[in-house]
This record gives sequence, C-alpha cells and structure tokens, in this order.
Amino acid sequence: MIDRIPSGFHPFVIPFLIGMAFVLLYCFGAMIRVLYELSWQDRKKFFLSLLNPKILLKDIKDIFLNCLIHVPLWKRNKLFGYMHSSIAFGWFMIILLGHIEVLLFVPGRINLFYYPIFFNYFVAEDDVTLRGSLLFFLMDFFLLMIMSGIALAMARRVKNYMFGVKRMARPTFLNVVGLYSLWAIFPLRWLAESFTAHISGGSFLTIPANWLFRQFLGNELYMLPTWWAYSIALCVFMCVLPFTRYMHIPAEMLLIPMRNAGLKVRSSRKGFARVEFFSCPNCGVCIDACPMTVDNGNVKDCTVYLTRQLRRGNEERIQEISDKCLLCGKCEALCQVGVEGPGLRILERARRDYTVPFNYPAADKSVDKNHKVLYFAGCMTHLTPSIGRNITELLRKANIDFTWLDQQGGLCCGRPMFTAGRIAEAKAIVANMEKLILESGCDTLLVSCPICYKMFREQYNLPGVEIVNYIPFINNLINTGRIKVEKSDICYVYHDPCELGRGCGMYDEPRKLLGRSAGIAEAQQNREESICCGGSLGSLSLDFAQRENMTKAALDNLYTSNADAIATACPLCQATFARYADRPVKDIAEIVNQQVI
Amino acid sequence: MKENVVIIGGGVAGLEAAKNLHRLGYQTFLVEKNKKLGGHVATWHKLFPDMASTKAIIKEMVEDIKDVTVFLDTQVKTIESAHGGYQIAFSNGVNVHAKAVLVASGFELFEAAKKEEYGYGIYDHVITNADLEAWMNGNKDKRIPASPKAIGFVHCVGSRDLKAGNSQCSKVCCMTAIKQAIEMKERFPNAEVYCFYMDLRLFGKKYEDFYINAQRDFGIHFVRGRVSEVSETIDGHLQVKAEDTLIGRPLKVQLDMLVLMAGMVANNQIKPIVEQAKLEIDSDGFLKSSDNITHIIESGRDGIFYAGACTGTKTVPETVAEARAAALAIHDYISGL
Repeated sequence: MIDRIPSGFHPFVIPFLIGMAFVLLYCFGAMIRVLYELSWQDRKKFFLSLLNPKILLKDIKDIFLNCLIHVPLWKRNKLFGYMHSSIAFGWFMIILLGHIEVLLFVPGRINLFYYPIFFNYFVAEDDVTLRGSLLFFLMDFFLLMIMSGIALAMARRVKNYMFGVKRMARPTFLNVVGLYSLWAIFPLRWLAESFTAHISGGSFLTIPANWLFRQFLGNELYMLPTWWAYSIALCVFMCVLPFTRYMHIPAEMLLIPMRNAGLKVRSSRKGFARVEFFSCPNCGVCIDACPMTVDNGNVKDCTVYLTRQLRRGNEERIQEISDKCLLCGKCEALCQVGVEGPGLRILERARRDYTVPFNYPAADKSVDKNHKVLYFAGCMTHLTPSIGRNITELLRKANIDFTWLDQQGGLCCGRPMFTAGRIAEAKAIVANMEKLILESGCDTLLVSCPICYKMFREQYNLPGVEIVNYIPFINNLINTGRIKVEKSDICYVYHDPCELGRGCGMYDEPRKLLGRSAGIAEAQQNREESICCGGSLGSLSLDFAQRENMTKAALDNLYTSNADAIATACPLCQATFARYADRPVKDIAEIVNQQVI
Repeated sequence: MKENVVIIGGGVAGLEAAKNLHRLGYQTFLVEKNKKLGGHVATWHKLFPDMASTKAIIKEMVEDIKDVTVFLDTQVKTIESAHGGYQIAFSNGVNVHAKAVLVASGFELFEAAKKEEYGYGIYDHVITNADLEAWMNGNKDKRIPASPKAIGFVHCVGSRDLKAGNSQCSKVCCMTAIKQAIEMKERFPNAEVYCFYMDLRLFGKKYEDFYINAQRDFGIHFVRGRVSEVSETIDGHLQVKAEDTLIGRPLKVQLDMLVLMAGMVANNQIKPIVEQAKLEIDSDGFLKSSDNITHIIESGRDGIFYAGACTGTKTVPETVAEARAAALAIHDYISGL
C-alpha cells in the first residue's frame, strides 16, 4: 500500500474539513457554556468524577453500550435496535479502522485529519497483503452493515409499526436535511470507493461494483465527482447537526458522564437540563407512552416537543406543554436517553410568578402522642373514605398500637404545591408536617396514598421515623402472623399507580399482597408501562372531557386481562376509575380486609 | 278511530298522557317496568310548593286511566318500524302494532355512592333525599337517629358535576332540600339544620317564599360552598368540612346525619329502545329532541314522541304539561294534521 498523491491533499476534502471544524467548534462551545452554567458544586462534582477510575470506567462502558450499541433500543424492539446500532457502531468502526489503516500503511499521514476518512482515494495497492485484505474486508463489512441500517431507516418511514414505535415527532425542515444527508453519506462512500477500487483495492462490496461499473462507465471519470459528493454530504450533515435532532449524538456523550457524576436538574433551561434536552433524539417513544395522546390528541404536548421548544425558546408553547402534563412519568421510564420529562416541567412551572397568595394555615393540630404507628391518610384517602376505614380496621385486627394523624382531615403532605412548581410553599408545608410528626413520638409513619408516600420519601427529613407504605406494612402483618387472610375466588387485575410504580419503584409488593387474598391477572401494559388513570393532580390545564378519554383508554388496557374487577393501591386511581369502569374498582386494603379470617 | 298508541313508562308523564290519549279515543297501551305505577313521584312523600300528598296525586292519576290497557312489570323487548307505524314486542309476550309511540321513560336517580367522599354506604348516618322521603312515608331507616341534634343537606350531588360526568342542573333538588329541611325541622325542632349549596336555583312559583320561610321561620342555616370531605368521628358523628365562600373561610361542622341531594341522570335502561328505533342521544346523555324550544316533545322520527324527564331534568308540573302536549301532538300526527 503506497501513497498515491504526493501532496496528500485534494480540494474535495475542504467541505469535509469545513463541516468538521464547524461541528467541533460548536460542540466545544456548547460544552463550555453548559459547564459554565453549572453551579460550582456541580462543576466540581463533575470534574472529580472524571478522575475517579470507577466512574470513568462506567462512563466509557455506558457511552459504548448506549451511544454505539443502543442497548435500550434493542430491549424495546430488535429491529429498532439493529437499525441504530448498525449505523452508530458501523460508522464508529469505519472511522476506527480508517485510522488503523493510516497507521499501518502510511503512518506519516496520521497527522492529516481527513486522511482516514478518504483513505482509499489517497493510496494505491502495490501488493496484496493478508492484513490489507482483512482490513478491506472489515471496511466493506461495516459499510454494508451501515447501509442495511440506512435501508431499514428508509423502510421505517413507510412501515413505522414494525419498529415498535407507532408515532414519530413531526420532523422540522433541518431535521429532514440532516436525515437525507445522513442517508446519502454511506451510499456515496460506497460509490466513491467502488470507482477507486481498481487503484486502491477493495473487498467483496467494492471490487465487484468496480468491475460492474467498468463494463459501462469509465471509472476514472466518475471517481472524483463521487468523492466530492461524499465530502459534501458529510459537510451538510455536520453543518446542520447542531440544529437538528442529531445533536443528541454529541450531547449524550456529555449527558452520560454528567449523570454518572450524580448531577441533577436544578433549572429547566440551563446546565444539566440543557444537555438533557439536546440529548433528545426525537425517537417518538414518549408520544406512544403519553396517556394524553389517546385518539391522537395532545401529541404536541409530549416530552419530545418539550425538548424541541426548550431548544427554540418558544415561551408560549413551553408553558402550555409544561402545564398540561399529568406527570405520570411514563415518558421518562421509557425514554431511551433518560430525559426527565416530569422533572423539567415542574422546574418550568417553578419559573413563574404566581399572583395568588399562599395562605395555608399553619397546622394547629395536636397529635395523640406515644403511639408507635402514626397513620397518615392524606386528602385523597379522605375523598375515598372506604380505604381509610379498611386500613384502620386491619390495624385494629392486628392489634397495632396506632393513632390517626389526620382523622379529621385538613393536613397536606405538600405534593400538590410541589408539582405546581411552588417549591418554597411546598417546603413550608413540609416543615410544618415534619414538626408535627416528630412531636408525636412515633417510630413508623404509615401512609396509604402513594402520592403522599413519594413526597414523604423524597422531600421529608424525619430522623428516627420509618416511612412505610401500607402495602408492605400489611404484607408484613401477614408475614408475622398478626393477621391471616384466605383467598377469594374473584380475579383482580392490578393497576400500577404512577406514583407507587414508576414513582417509588414498588411493583412486586402489591402483587404479592393481592395474590394472597384474591386471584390476580395482568393487563397488556403494566408495571413501568402502566397507563395513568387520568385523574392525576399533576396536570394544571387538562379538562374533564379530555381526562375522560384517558381514563377510558386506561380502563380498556385493564380490561384486556378479562379480570372480574380492578384492584389498585391509590385513592385517586380508584376514584377516577370508579367513575367510568364497567366492573368494581377496589383498593387492595379493602380486598385484604374482606378476606381476613 | 281506534288506532293503537304505546306509552313507555308509567310515571306521571305516562299516566297523564295515557289519560288524554284514551279520552281522545285511542287504544292506549301503557307499559311500566316496575310492579307499580307512579314512577319516582310515587316514592316521594310530599311535593312542593303546596306540600301536596303524592299518594293522593298518584291515586287520582291511576283512577283516571282505569280503562287503559296497562302492562306492569313489563318491558319493551323489540321495536321496529313497520307499515307506517311500529311493531312492538313486550316482555310479557304481547305484540302491538302502534301508530305512534310515546317515550316517557323518565330519569334515574344519581348513585350517591359514586361520590365516595360523602361516605354514602360507608358511614352510618349518610342517606339520600330518596331515603329520607321513604322514611317519611313510614319506612324504617336505622341511619336516621332518634333525635338528631344537627342535620346537614348537601346540594348538587351528582348534578352540575363534571367529575361525576353530569353537567346538568337537576332543577328540583334546591327546592327539595329546602322542603326536606323544613320537614326535618318540624319533626325535630331542637335540631340545627344546615344546607350546603353552590347556588340556590329557586325559579318556580312560590319557591323563593319557601326559601325565605326556611330562613326566617325555621332558622335553617344556608352555607354557600361545596362540601369538600366528610369523615366519621370515633363516637359515630359525622364531621363535614366545607368552605363558606361568602366569608371566605373554611368551615367544620359536626352532624348527626347527612342527606345527599342525589340529582337526576339519564335513564340508561332505555338504551336498547334508543338503538332499535334509531333515536338520538344528546350530549348530556338524555334523549335528543328535534329542538329545545318549540319541539321538545318531538324525537325527529315519525311517530315517536317524548314527554317528561327522558329529554332532560324536569319538575312535575313541567312533566305533566309536556305529557298533555305530547298527547295532542300524537293526535295531530295520527289525524294527519
């Protein structure tokens, strides 16, 4: 293998160099901006994490598995996964092998930035070597792999459902330019290498093509134009990249180390949040996941559009999208890169000025002291009194020494204020409640509403008090023999409440408890894919008519189980479903209480 | 002139229409799904504003139709358009070819248990307006204490409530609550009586006088604000939390019993007939009239007419007037006018 062009340069590399310089400068600038926007504690945390070999190793592993292999996509749909990993991993391998070729055959040229990309133009094959043909084979192999991915990407435009994603976000004009230039790069490279293969050599893909083209085309004539076209396609792709969804490629490589360093979103617009919304690849998984998109409504209020509008700075739409969301968390649970849809929206709500004054009366309650267990029902349980009644009956049957913190109602955990983005007011409520709970001298806080439970877990500081959801608590009562239950013949389908499942990660405990007292069936979409009941307090702007459709769609999913009745572990889900369900909707506490022997 | 006319529903609308159609000379068939005539009105004790006994009213109405063919405990099985009329099969095996059909299927009472926050079926002393009327009619009800000291009435239970799926006002509950509040106060003069309302819609003749009496002569407390939650204290009392929106403060009252003013919702049992006869349902769930001003009693289908609460919430006088109008409209229709 020898150098063919003595100067080692041809003008066709200029477009590539322009594109490359632009994208590198842009990304570098963007990275500096993000680092500048971080608080100094976060910045320090991030830099220190890069010095920690354990985290660094995890960064490299995660970047390799997520950005190149796209493991989460494989888990979702094999075809979808293959399409992405063939392009990403194949492209990476081609660049890597290009550098190996330069190092092996023309080491003097390694300082030329463009050489590995256009290697085949600049070299001529002098003798056939085994290592040469192996590298050529690998190059052709990965090129074929990429082109198979591109072919699938084209097929996806027609047959989207094959890829496990029903709806995609509407592409912007620049996204279309980026898409077509990306599609063009690899076929053009194949053509350019094929026209050059009789000089530079090639393998199973390029040599037959070279032979074929020579039958009716003069090779020399088409060689340069295809190399020019290849370089221009690269230039176009890289020049539009920062303004398209393809920005997720560099952004995710920053997102992963930042997340591994333990950074959290503190603002919806700056720093870590900026990396997050630039990392959104617009795949559309969140559109299918979103409970609001039933009957193709509210599609433009999904997280993919939030990230798009955050990038554009379209204030009106950002506000609309942030207010509408139910905060069910399904988009975040299914997001391939981990964009925190609900978290970003809460921070966005927190940016506003509220004109309504906050005058929550300080709790003037006194608690019955010196009981081990303090039961907190919360406002939603007060709206579904049967749950509170069944839980207290169970506690009495098990001879638990307890007192009811809010039997007369009127105490708030602070979660509604928190989800409305009024963080300072929520903290005032929390401080009040913390005082009340600590004064009671209890050692266990028993909570029957998962909305409150999530708030207690995440926002409360209660030293010496164990915060327990009623589901594991009752399970424990059965485990320790304090109550005994027998199984009924009724078969229930269990609905995972958003706040208990995705919110607190509790999926197995409720099923275990339900399974002890009744038959159990599963809905088509369950666990982290469970569909929000539509009653969520999270939304600030959805009206009842829209919520009704969502509730009915969620019920249809539960009906797929053909169960006799619906069981849930959230008072809000129960009340919402009960309005429209064609079969009984019961809380697990009620089901268990009826089966106590 | 012995054309057949079928009336579906034996409440006040069906009874009044049957009387008039029979007098006009039609062979009238009145079909009622229950074992008794009189519908919801027959289950009530007294009617405002005259405090008239429902027993007397229904008795008179039933006597008026003694020559009409009445099928009790019977439902319409099938109805299909045939030979310029309708071929109707009843569940008792009778088949009738009717020139015209009057739908007088009325309403259903909202299921108060659906508003779980009020604790109907969960707490010991929560009843509905219908339960209270039944008790006044002499039925025993252990949910009503022997001598209550504080009684509450919750207006608009399942009415004007999008969460409950009903946007309509049930029209009669404001007055019913005032009427029942006065009746309770008469029985238990020492009890404090509270009415929790959003608005008081007192549009009818003498309604406003009733309201003034309730406040002035009976000392009934009217609290403007919806009840947010009801809980039960350890000693079995009910604690009601509401907001008094006139003074802008939250309010807490302890009560011995609570009466929920369950509203009127569309009668879903009529659905099979609606489908077979290709009738239209309006956005509020009730049957859709040709228009809501001058043709409320017309269905838009030849030979099918409406009367009473099947097209929306109505008072008894409105229902009776509609039933007469429908009888005349049927007469005009059959006479080819």
